[in-house]
Amino acid sequence: MVDKEKCTGCHQCELWCGTEIASISKELSQAINETPQPVPRVYVEGKPFALQCRHCEEAPCLDACPNGTMRRDPETGLIYVNEPTCIACWMCVMVCPFGIISPSSSLKVAIKCDRCRNMGYPICAEVCPTGALSLAERKDYRKKKF
Amino acid sequence: MEFIQKKTADNAAEHFLPKAADRGTKLAWDRFEGQLPECGFCESGLSCRDCLQGPCISNPFRDANKLGVCGKDKDILAVQSLLRLVLKGTMATLDQVDDFVEGVVAKKAKPRDKTAAARIIAEIEALQKSGAASAKKSFPKALLAAWEEAGVVPQGVARDLFKASQKTEGGVAGVEETLLWAFKAALLGAFARKLQGSLKKAVFGAAPAEIELDMGVLKKKSATILLYGRFSPILKTKIAEAAAKKKVAVMGVCTDPLLWPHVFAPVTSYGSQELPLMTGAVDLIVVGDQFVNPSLAAIAAEYSVAVVQTETLKEQNPDAFAKAIVERAINAYGFRRSIVRDIPDARTTALMGLSAGDLNMKKIAAALAAGRLKGVAILAGTNNVKFTQDLPFVTLAQEFLKNGIMCLSEGDASVSLAKYGFLDPKQREKHCGRVVAELLGAAGKNLPAVIDLGLAENGGVIEFLLALAAASGKSLKELPVLACFAEANRSAEAGEALSLVAMGVSTYFWPCLPVTGSPKTMEALSKLCNSIFGAKLIVHTDKKMEPLAKAGMILKVFNRVADPAAGDHPWTDWKK
Repeated sequence: MVDKEKCTGCHQCELWCGTEIASISKELSQAINETPQPVPRVYVEGKPFALQCRHCEEAPCLDACPNGTMRRDPETGLIYVNEPTCIACWMCVMVCPFGIISPSSSLKVAIKCDRCRNMGYPICAEVCPTGALSLAERKDYRKKKF
Repeated sequence: MEFIQKKTADNAAEHFLPKAADRGTKLAWDRFEGQLPECGFCESGLSCRDCLQGPCISNPFRDANKLGVCGKDKDILAVQSLLRLVLKGTMATLDQVDDFVEGVVAKKAKPRDKTAAARIIAEIEALQKSGAASAKKSFPKALLAAWEEAGVVPQGVARDLFKASQKTEGGVAGVEETLLWAFKAALLGAFARKLQGSLKKAVFGAAPAEIELDMGVLKKKSATILLYGRFSPILKTKIAEAAAKKKVAVMGVCTDPLLWPHVFAPVTSYGSQELPLMTGAVDLIVVGDQFVNPSLAAIAAEYSVAVVQTETLKEQNPDAFAKAIVERAINAYGFRRSIVRDIPDARTTALMGLSAGDLNMKKIAAALAAGRLKGVAILAGTNNVKFTQDLPFVTLAQEFLKNGIMCLSEGDASVSLAKYGFLDPKQREKHCGRVVAELLGAAGKNLPAVIDLGLAENGGVIEFLLALAAASGKSLKELPVLACFAEANRSAEAGEALSLVAMGVSTYFWPCLPVTGSPKTMEALSKLCNSIFGAKLIVHTDKKMEPLAKAGMILKVFNRVADPAAGDHPWTDWKK
């Protein structure tokens, strides 16, 4: 979840997502020099507001994917890209209403946030200095008073 | 994002950690954990706040914001981050020199050697105006020629600091040129440090002294003043004189412990500077700016300790100010009688304030030439909360001394080492291997395992290096001398590291300087510096490296063994 009042647009989520999730070395000082350039799964563009996959209940990317590369984890409900089968047709990129799927021309796969499903807690929420990014149930978040 | 596993190696400091946790007193370690993760852009040198169009970053993972608004790329951002640090560091040194000179010129101190003092003051003034031709003379000709060739010889504050600082304002200077400006500023600082050391000698005289230190030296039944950080040595002597008359104890933290005939026993080192206040045995603190954590004010209030600032807008007459400080301390002692004084039983002896003149440089040079002594390591820096306090210093010193490397230390690094007996002449045999023990036995009287060369700002290390080069008839870049900033935190230390590299001494620096975001700057610190000065500034990016692994890596360098962890070898002729 993103609290737009708290987001200062500091890009820390992008930086650490790029390092911890997208890079091979997992060390910032080395990730900076990696080729191809690591692609973060979260964006801060234009306005101070971190954008990452909403894991929609009615997900257009799931419907658009022609070969079942875009999948939903039955246990957690998180949507992820099964990279080995991606044919880089970019249909998901076109249909995503939030524009959060990146086409990686060098890796020939669609890249998107899987909310760190293999890590327990999303890195972006962990590093966010103001607590703008947090992990919460949608129904609880709606009730939350800011 | 590394949380602290062990906060300190100092038992006296550790004694207070549960106490602080119980009372809810936040210490540097707690605040550091609150800051994690620290900003990755700033840490890698990829951010800039130099103009009001920003702040800008160079995002390593996005093409849209790779350049700042003005067009600074990651290389320029990183090298300018280093330049900014060095400029601030040089100004820190010059500030101290200015305070000292001002006091002497105003005749607030009576120099032991008036003519020498007047000559050195003239040299300092000339250095600030035009770069001081006379100060240059003490450096070897070949070194000066290399500096002249690169254009980094100091030319006075206006050219070295003002002009260099404008590189961050704009212009199209590349990485190499900007880096050389940083070296120019760093050398100005080095010249000033050397001159300040000479001035201290001329005004107060110089001789090593055995000092009792650590928190155990605090007194239960006496009013106690603690001097924090760097401020005018004239004021310090005045406080010591006034306090002696009234039987008030004066000690110090991160301050020059030796101003003949006065001794200010170091109570602890930088990292645990807040803890002496928690003993309850401090009645008043006198604080400068440099080295002083702003948190002291809150902790002093919590323990009803009076605080006196020295660096205020309106200057005060040192005599009257010192008297007022001592009176206030006595008053504070009176109303603080009900406060329990919890003084840990930690106290060691340290021989401090040695200089090249106290050592037989020929014997050291001969031992190096014969290969008996594998090398000389300069341990410098100040505690940094990113590392277990004192552990890097202690581990490096332990490993080096056992393996035939002579260790020198300065400033706060000396205090850190002294707490563990490395500066106690009686414990020399315990810490040293055979080679170093024999050499120290022959090279001077009653020497401890690690030789303290005084504060960095007094240029003891520069003097030692020049004497070593002269005694061995070689340039510094040909000698197996390395500097290790095992725990560094202040901008002045970054400046000092650069000046050591400029003198031909390869330098290891921890933690990472804000240059890791730029491969070009990292390469320049290695290759360009090596081609100009014959030495490299080695910034290690492996944050998880244990102190023992660091010591092992540097030992391999001294032993001229290849090590993949070390990467680039600091000496080009190491395979011989």
